[in-house]
Amino acid sequence: MKERTIWERIADNLRSRSIWMLHYCTGCGAVELPPSMTSRFDMERFGIMPMATPRQADILLITGYLNTKTLRRVIYTYEQMPDPKYVVGFGSCTINGGIYFDSYATVNRLDYYIPVDVYIAGCMPRPEAILEAFNYLMEKIRKGEANGWKRYKENYEWYKQNQIRSLGEVYVHDEFHE
Amino acid sequence: MTNSMNEAIEALGAFQPTIEVIDEREIKVSVSPDKVISTLELLKSLGYSHLSLLTCIDWIDDNQFELVYILFSWKDGGKFIVSTRIDRNNPRFVTVKEIWPVARFYEREIHEFFGVKFIGNDDMRPLFLELWDDKPPLRKDFDPLEYSKKKFPGREYRKDVLGEAKKIFRGEING
Ligand code: SF4
Repeated sequence: MKERTIWERIADNLRSRSIWMLHYCTGCGAVELPPSMTSRFDMERFGIMPMATPRQADILLITGYLNTKTLRRVIYTYEQMPDPKYVVGFGSCTINGGIYFDSYATVNRLDYYIPVDVYIAGCMPRPEAILEAFNYLMEKIRKGEANGWKRYKENYEWYKQNQIRSLGEVYVHDEFHE
Repeated sequence: MTNSMNEAIEALGAFQPTIEVIDEREIKVSVSPDKVISTLELLKSLGYSHLSLLTCIDWIDDNQFELVYILFSWKDGGKFIVSTRIDRNNPRFVTVKEIWPVARFYEREIHEFFGVKFIGNDDMRPLFLELWDDKPPLRKDFDPLEYSKKKFPGREYRKDVLGEAKKIFRGEING
């Protein structure tokens, strides 16, 4: 891989210390986020802050099962986020479909559709596991290894093919998008 | 059973329903399809005016769909479950959206998930599914695992050679 310049390294260091997180709470695992954010585990001491809009967020946190309908919106959301952006897949549903592996509407692995930097295993993961994962993500950002957004650009055709194969069409037809 | 439920059962007698008492405040009434609307209207006029649920059950062995209307009374908390069976090969029924406007969403849902058509309700757009391309997913002859395998590729795991060798060693599986 290309050697990073000193400025990129500084930037990565700073990025890793102020991650704004868009939590796309699709599934039951989302219930572990309030304790992680509030006083007991206090995520914000690491510089992790919840963010309401994709256009200001660095992390897309997907907390559980995704069905086809949601996945379309998630892809929209992901594409609205500015680079660099990181995706955290949360819970076994994002890894292999979890207990919904045989459902007619639930996708079975998230990294097939958008690039995932860190997975958190568990159904559902404890706040400790969440903090551990964020620590790991920060480490990866500092080392310049959290390259999901670059992979998405380089392999855009592959991701698009997968999306279309499972969803039929990524375009969303509803009253908010037309 | 509450008094008003007894009265309702008496009033229903003309429709020759099969009555099954489920518990103190819950009664299941099975009637033939042509009497459903009058049964529902009668119960509504007797205070069972809240349509809690309209749903469908697939009895694939009998080749029938069962439509289930759950009516609730705010006066004494009584519940009537009105059920009827329709043909599975040509599933059609009349709409109740004139009696309960909310029913049109339940009917859309049943149309989407079971393929039952409701005559008189012409808004049969999909409610939950998007770009669905197979038979209605809650029918018993639809195989979700098969569909999932076709549509949503899963993760491939490397074979756990060591783990399996240990199991063979312990005699749990045949090598
Ligand atoms: S992994 Fe478990 S907790 Fe998380 S969304 Fe799936 S079922 Fe819910």
